[in-house]
Amino acid sequence: MSAAAEGFAEARLEILRQGPRQTPHFETFTVSVPAEAKVLDALDAVWAERDHGLLFRRACHHSSCGACAMRINGRERLPCITPYREAASERTPVRLEPLRNMPVVADLVVDVSGFFERMSASDLVITRVAESTLPLSVDPLPAGFEPRQIVAPDDIPELTRFETCIECGICVSVCPSMAADDGFLGPAALAGIHRTREATPDRVEAEHLLDLADSEDGIWRCHSSFECTAACPQSVDPAGRIMSLRGQAIRRRWKRLWGM
Amino acid sequence: MTTSPSVVVIGAGSTGAATAHDLALRGFLVTVVERGEIASGTSGRNHCLLHSGGRYAVTDQESARECIAELRTLEAIMPDLLERNGGLFVALNEEDLAFKEKFLAACEVCGIPARELPLDRVRKMEPFLNPDVLAAVEVPDGVFEPFHFCLAFLATAKTNGAEVRTYNEVLELRTEGGAVTGLKVRDHRTGVTSMIGADLVVNAAGPWVGEIAAMAGLSVPVTPTPGVMVTMDVRLNNLVINRLNRPADGDIVVPQRATSIIGTTSWVVEDPDLISVPPDHVSRMLACGQQLIPAVAKVKVRATVAVARPLVTKTGGDTRNVSRTFECFDHAAEGVEGLVTIAGGKTTSSRAMAERVADVVCAKLDKQVPCRTRETALVSYRNYYR
Repeated sequence: MSAAAEGFAEARLEILRQGPRQTPHFETFTVSVPAEAKVLDALDAVWAERDHGLLFRRACHHSSCGACAMRINGRERLPCITPYREAASERTPVRLEPLRNMPVVADLVVDVSGFFERMSASDLVITRVAESTLPLSVDPLPAGFEPRQIVAPDDIPELTRFETCIECGICVSVCPSMAADDGFLGPAALAGIHRTREATPDRVEAEHLLDLADSEDGIWRCHSSFECTAACPQSVDPAGRIMSLRGQAIRRRWKRLWGM
Repeated sequence: MTTSPSVVVIGAGSTGAATAHDLALRGFLVTVVERGEIASGTSGRNHCLLHSGGRYAVTDQESARECIAELRTLEAIMPDLLERNGGLFVALNEEDLAFKEKFLAACEVCGIPARELPLDRVRKMEPFLNPDVLAAVEVPDGVFEPFHFCLAFLATAKTNGAEVRTYNEVLELRTEGGAVTGLKVRDHRTGVTSMIGADLVVNAAGPWVGEIAAMAGLSVPVTPTPGVMVTMDVRLNNLVINRLNRPADGDIVVPQRATSIIGTTSWVVEDPDLISVPPDHVSRMLACGQQLIPAVAKVKVRATVAVARPLVTKTGGDTRNVSRTFECFDHAAEGVEGLVTIAGGKTTSSRAMAERVADVVCAKLDKQVPCRTRETALVSYRNYYR
């Protein structure tokens, strides 16, 4: 290959190809990408320059849609915010595989219908009233940042904010309980139930959601590995929320036992 | 029994998604073909701004009126998919300040509610805003998430019988006797190529409409005009923050979940398939973002994106001055029946774009059914994958 243009670097991707048309195998591509490229930029380049038949999911390219989640070098991540350089320092070529615990459609695309069905059951609405401090961050805040309380003036309604969960499916892919039992509601939906219960003023709905969490396919299936919390790119902490739901379910059982 | 006319929509970005919804609601047999995932082209990568129209009030009043009307409609049909916190237009220097009266007057003409806020209140609402702000005008800007926006339209279209074929790339348009009668697609999942017949084809391929039209020997005056957006690692604003002046590079910071997105720049490309982010555009966005929100300097960049807007070019000149409204092209005017192109516009106006093109489809296929998308609430985006 000729010398890379200034500011560009060579990216090598080893992509799992599979689907109705072929048996699973890895195919390696080499493309030129900007030095600061993310893994998804490299994948976009493979698609644009080499193979329109390469299947992968993508939309926002800035971690708000959740579509592109996959395994990068064996670990679930969002390729839109993972620098190619960082991934290549772990392993070259960078290995790309689809999420686990969901049926494969082809190449890097999985069938997310079961995932979204479970999310629907959680009743999680993506817009909710904001926890009213800035700055908001997915990761620990950089040094020098103090949260500042927003004083909402009387004549404007409360601020709203989208949920931090982007429904990317990473937590389901890493979950050992999900791998063992495909009836399990899974970390994202249970975290969604926890969030909805925090937000809803409707006690009947809140009770109904706790019934669902406390059901056969709910919180008791979790093996408490905390893999979901470790992998979540949005710091939603599904495992922590599942533990919290367990506490709520047990308290409710005690109350019922004592006729409270 | 007569069967409904069949319409194939090319593209599952915001325009194609809204068009599929409108046509399905009017009783057409709708098939959407999209070569990638939903919103995998321009729509997915847009700035997430639900336009009040304030940005265009002074320079492009047709777009401004369209924005405020569509914003009200979207608030009614997808209330759970919008952050409706409003937006601020802020003056940072004397030139901005001089623009204020013109801006307020233009907003009034366009029907955009705009009011100047006391600065102490603005500083409370936006603690990271440049403390040297000289004036701030509030407008009803909002925020959406483009992928979910498109999914909601398509989920509703599917409820009304539409079929959506993702990973199906258009290879050619079938023409018979000077009319487009269908198209040939490759299903990339299986590698199988097949023909889909259609009474009419709607070309809603965004910046790629020219490539589709060329398959029928036609051209459309659409210029792929990319912009760069820089997403910061931290959310620093509650409301959308705009610079109170004419549209310019780096004049806006849109909040999205736990991030803030600075945008944008503007240049012209030939091929919208792969657009590299020019590094100097990123540094320019960071510099502009710091003027509005100085704390941008303390925060890491989370992602950078470049994506092509499909601007309709009526005359030559600067892309910043091209109207951001849309056009519907019935190619019968150029001697090719059966193909209509809808282009330009923006995600905020996609429902109106769909209404316009669906009206044309109705007239051409002699099926007069009124548009119902203004009053039809969309189903949950999660239903799309059912």
